[in-house]
Amino acid sequence: MSDRPTAQELTEAIQEFLGGEILPTVTDHRLRFRLLVAMNALGIVYRELAALPAEDDEGQRALSRRIRAGDVPPGTLDRVKADVEARLLVASPRYLERYG
Amino acid sequence: MIADMREAFQTALAGVLGREVDISEPVLLAGGASKEAWAVDADGERLLVRRAAVGVIHRHTLSLVDELAVLEAAYEAGVKVPRPYGYVADLAGREAFVMERLEGETIGRRVVQRPELEAARAALPLQLAEELAKVHAIPAERVPFLTGAAIERMVEELDDVDEPHPAIELGLWWLREHRPPARPPVVSHGDYRIGNVVVDERGLVGLLDWEFAHLDDPARDLSFGLVRAWRFGVDGKRLGGIGDVEPYLARYNELTGFDVRPEELDYWELAGNVAWAIGCLTQAQRHLSGQDRSVELAILGRLGAEVEYEICHLLERAGA
Repeated sequence: MSDRPTAQELTEAIQEFLGGEILPTVTDHRLRFRLLVAMNALGIVYRELAALPAEDDEGQRALSRRIRAGDVPPGTLDRVKADVEARLLVASPRYLERYG
Repeated sequence: MIADMREAFQTALAGVLGREVDISEPVLLAGGASKEAWAVDADGERLLVRRAAVGVIHRHTLSLVDELAVLEAAYEAGVKVPRPYGYVADLAGREAFVMERLEGETIGRRVVQRPELEAARAALPLQLAEELAKVHAIPAERVPFLTGAAIERMVEELDDVDEPHPAIELGLWWLREHRPPARPPVVSHGDYRIGNVVVDERGLVGLLDWEFAHLDDPARDLSFGLVRAWRFGVDGKRLGGIGDVEPYLARYNELTGFDVRPEELDYWELAGNVAWAIGCLTQAQRHLSGQDRSVELAILGRLGAEVEYEICHLLERAGA
């Protein structure tokens, strides 16, 4: 899947938040140490994600272009909905419970 | 710096109010996409100062001058809005305007949930209909700078993001194929929903956030508050998580004589979802482009999948 922000970009956003906004407010020595360790761990995740090959979104681009051109054969909605559901299972799984 | 800021407010507010004033410490409030909001009291009077934020002004949002002019037009028309006080060309280097700071709740989740606002929720559907009827009666000549917002504008915004989102494309396709007969455009709020209104125990106190005002089919404004994301978790109440649509629609039709049909609400509810799905992507772009780095903006890029799911759900119901 080609969703933005990518997992790597989200990791980067969290690093910036922790380093820029939280770290300066933490005065407790033990908490501060543990926060730095956590940020270090996040750095490992970031670099590991950076080493993965980029996802190919050409399938989604081709489908988007076809729909834009008005080429919407039967079954298109089912296919699109299944894709969205798969993305939601990553991004916000509990949201699906709202459609009983 | 803080002292300088206070001094800048002191000067600006004295200018707008036309007298020397004793002010409280200005407090920067959370939220606000392209504009800052500062709470400050002058001689005990509750004020809110909207000030330009750093960075690029959004496409398709009003300038501060125009937003103030719309607010003034609404105030004159008897719409419940904060009283506008005036424009400030230079507030510590950026433009701003000053208005009344209304008392009440604006946080959507609280409006739909708080037990003490139960009576307010019962009153809100009719009150929201009545205020919107007043907004839609504002003469367009009074705000000549407002422009239309065609569905095609959403396509442009999606293309700016340059990511493939077939669900959004399907929504746009359906909207193109099933356009209801166009109604003469009216002055529209553009973001009329729970979260952008002030509510107290008795109900509606005032309408905020006029930066998306434009000319449009009245049914579009009427339907935006139906979008599931703006029900704040109370999905069973289709009107903004606070009540049923039918009395709201009936009251609006009674006051305007527009006779908006339920099918039009369905159509524009879908359009509202498509707009918000694209909105999620453009908000995430503010983070990704470096314009405004923030985890909150970033995650919207992923949470947009919720809105895309709702688009699919609505399309299924419509028989696409």
